[in-house]
Amino acid sequence: MFQKILIANRGEIAVRIIRACREMGIKTVAVYSEADKEALHTQLADEAICIGPAPSTESYLNMERILSATIAAKADAIHPGFGFLSENSKFVEMCQKCNITFIGPSADMINRMGNKSEARRTMRSAGVPVVPGTKEPVYEAEEGKKIADEMGYPVMIKASSGGGGKGMRICEKEELFCENFRTAQMESVRAFGDHTMYIEKYIVHPRHIEFQILADKFGNVIQLGERDCSIQRHHQKLIEESPSSSLTPQLRKEMGKMAVHAAKAAGYENAGTVEFLLDQDDHFYFIEMNTRIQVEHPVTEMVSGIDLIKEQIMIAAGYPISKKQEEIHLNGHAIECRINAEDPKRNFMPCPGVIEGLHLPGGFGVRIDTAVYGGYEIPPFYDSMIAKVIVHDKDRISAINKMRSTLGELILEGVVTNLDFQYEILNNEDFQRGKISTDFIPEHFPSDSLNRD
Amino acid sequence: MAKLKNLFKKTNYISIGRNVEEKQEQKTPSVPEGLWVKCPKCGEPIYKEDVRENFYVCPKCQGYFRIKTKTRIRMVADTGTFEPWFEDLEEKNPLQYPGYEAKLEELREKTHIKEAVTIGKCKIDGEEAVLGVCDARFLMASMGYVVGEKITRAIERATKLRLPVILFCCSGGARMQEGIVSLMQMAKTSAALKRHSDAGLLYISVLTDPTTGGVTASFAMLGDVILAEPGALIGFAGPRVIEQTIGEKLPEGFQRAEFLLEKGIIDGIIERSKLKNTLSKLIRYHKIDYRTVMFEKKKGKEEIVIDETKEISAWEHVEISRSAKRPASLDYIERIFNGFMELHGDRSFRDDGAVVGGIALIDGQPVTVIGQQKGKNTKENLVRNFGMVSPEGYRKALRLMKEAEKFRRPIINFVDTPGAACGIGAEERGQGEAIARNLKEMFGLKVPVLSILIGEGGSGGALALAVANEVWMMENATYSILSPEGFASILWKDGKRAKEASEVMKITAKDLKELGIIECIIPEQEPADLENIEEIAAYMKQRIKQFLYDCSKKTPKQLQEERYDRFRKM
Repeated sequence: MFQKILIANRGEIAVRIIRACREMGIKTVAVYSEADKEALHTQLADEAICIGPAPSTESYLNMERILSATIAAKADAIHPGFGFLSENSKFVEMCQKCNITFIGPSADMINRMGNKSEARRTMRSAGVPVVPGTKEPVYEAEEGKKIADEMGYPVMIKASSGGGGKGMRICEKEELFCENFRTAQMESVRAFGDHTMYIEKYIVHPRHIEFQILADKFGNVIQLGERDCSIQRHHQKLIEESPSSSLTPQLRKEMGKMAVHAAKAAGYENAGTVEFLLDQDDHFYFIEMNTRIQVEHPVTEMVSGIDLIKEQIMIAAGYPISKKQEEIHLNGHAIECRINAEDPKRNFMPCPGVIEGLHLPGGFGVRIDTAVYGGYEIPPFYDSMIAKVIVHDKDRISAINKMRSTLGELILEGVVTNLDFQYEILNNEDFQRGKISTDFIPEHFPSDSLNRD
Repeated sequence: MAKLKNLFKKTNYISIGRNVEEKQEQKTPSVPEGLWVKCPKCGEPIYKEDVRENFYVCPKCQGYFRIKTKTRIRMVADTGTFEPWFEDLEEKNPLQYPGYEAKLEELREKTHIKEAVTIGKCKIDGEEAVLGVCDARFLMASMGYVVGEKITRAIERATKLRLPVILFCCSGGARMQEGIVSLMQMAKTSAALKRHSDAGLLYISVLTDPTTGGVTASFAMLGDVILAEPGALIGFAGPRVIEQTIGEKLPEGFQRAEFLLEKGIIDGIIERSKLKNTLSKLIRYHKIDYRTVMFEKKKGKEEIVIDETKEISAWEHVEISRSAKRPASLDYIERIFNGFMELHGDRSFRDDGAVVGGIALIDGQPVTVIGQQKGKNTKENLVRNFGMVSPEGYRKALRLMKEAEKFRRPIINFVDTPGAACGIGAEERGQGEAIARNLKEMFGLKVPVLSILIGEGGSGGALALAVANEVWMMENATYSILSPEGFASILWKDGKRAKEASEVMKITAKDLKELGIIECIIPEQEPADLENIEEIAAYMKQRIKQFLYDCSKKTPKQLQEERYDRFRKM
């Protein structure tokens, strides 16, 4: 087992990892930027090393400094958390060369799953359903139309180099295909000088369903149920819950099996997430695999009773997963709301500031993962998420009620947050009835959707 | 409670999961030798792999590492094509300098190269060339007998084989241990380059960090094209020597590549990642004679006729030609040509932003393109000076035209200037002389010259780029002895009567065609702007190709004669 772990991250996830280490009797080393001298993770860890100026490129992304800090502190492993270096295969390679254990999958695995088209290929050949689409690039509208006709409308026309909605068109009908294709292609040529296009099936009102998996060195792979992360704004998740209200026990079993199969097909090790899109007819499609611990991991912890961070550390140290699949029993319902220091009235602009007054609610089934404290100054350089509020109760309605009660008690003075926005979502009838999809936010909060793109 | 410092209890906890039988097989964390290298510029440790992949440029500060001969050859030459020449020249010790031979021997062992320069034949993207590389690890790549001799012999052989020469320069200067013999290498290498140049052959020098002393004052500065790596120190006297001599601190950036570019000494700064491609492109640009046309002559040329019913007054033409919306030279260059490679500087005083010039392709045919460039806004005009060219701008244009002539490449000039730059500096540096010299020298050019007036054709400042075989004008361009304001103020003592003046001055394309001052009018259905420029550029391109095709049938003598007769009639 590791004697000392360096946490290459900041904020609530760093705190979360420090706590897990402490509970395991492992010493912790925090790294911090000049802007994070007063941060909770810096103060909480057994040791803390400053790794550079505030901009993350010079601190939390500076691989050389983080490795030097690890060696100087004589830590034997690095936990990367999420974001920053957590999916940087070069960093994993460098750790290996320096005899430092990276708590996560291998560099090769990160590369293979990070490359979306390769990940899709791996999954397709393993028999995991993926969103139907062209394998080869398409250059001509007529050629594309044939494929689209076969696939069935609506389809998504995507530029290979596309991004930010450029070179992307949703085509609803056959008659419009050629025109849509040409405009998308033209956009791509203008913006990126590339006329390589792909076509894939456009899934209407999909749900974002992801499965938490754990895999160890010994080939054991288990899944800990799903998380429904359909409540998103610009691909940014806002509310996550487990279980999903839209899965029947049968479908859950089927998807869970497929997730384990996918992880096995990839030869995965450590904690990971297999993401699917679920359409309205209960067809599900693999979209990608995340090779890190995720922000929303607490909801799975609440329903499964498994501490995912501890499992990650044990797996990295060469131990088998602590439980077998048949020992996993999912209980009740958990919901997480992400609290961000941002202003929903001003296009969700980040609003850093000083936490002048703070009241954190508590009680049975209430968990708050945060790195803020009274008097803390949120630095403007990093992600705006300042707290995750997680509740656990016997069923979805009870959990929603508990979350509303908890958010009502949460007081964060001095900074503007999305707390009220979260409250509005929880009060929404469609949300309460479980009528959600990734289009939920643009549909129910159209003023926000006007701000899109 | 603003500070949490030392408030948390950090007691020892019970370790779990630690099995007594657990083997401690993991080695202690440490950084293996050579995993990181230290950047010589910013001092940061960097992953060696990153440096190698990034062409030995620091991914953090973009600072350039000095590189070994082997690495440089690998970066520039096609794999396996480099064949070294004259590797076994015998060293000389003319001063009988003690320990010199032993020092050389030691360096040969350490660096695995025979001398400070390695030279030979190779292919660059398939183009044959003689490539020489200086290596700073070898006595600061100072030039002694062997370095000078190797370079000289290689140039002589290149002349015989009619190959281009590319030298990667880097040097502390002449080699002190060889005294006056070293000094003579400067003359010797220059002599060989003169013959190579007289044979009409290409030499490109690439200045790398640091290029100083006798090497700067000889082969480094003699390239037809002189390129430099970003941030390279380039100078004759070293900065420390200068500081001691003048007793002053030198400003930041002094003698760096960027400084030389601004001062008009070098043609361009090229990043390492683009170096190979730039070199092979330049070789190709210098290979093709104007008489070898790279495209077919199009039959049944579609002539766009000028709409005679439009009634636009001369003054309206003046206003259109001056409009801020009117496309500038670079807008046309971008659309008519591909692969435009801009070359900078007059090689003596400054790079004038009011003139742009370089080499580009028109359907595969290399041409030298020069244009007076107006800015689109105040910021751009700080560099472009509203298209008002200074003496160094005319000298840059002439230098590029002479370069074109040497390599038998056609010249296309875009004229757009309110007039030559007017001011103290311009007069101090001989504005009149610069214009006059262009007029005279352009008559001698042995290649086709075409000038197109795209906006304002203001006086001598315009004419200095318009001594051509043919002069064309866009429908809304003007060409005049001076501005209508100036005309009114000289003749009528009233600058405000400019509008009236414009009507009597005969400055429109139509008037000038009638007067026989120009050959052709490029029609504009609507005044040219960035919306309709594509169409106009396409038409211009087609006309330019016709012109080039027709000229390809003419001898240099004919071209000179035609140009002479054209103006002789006026």
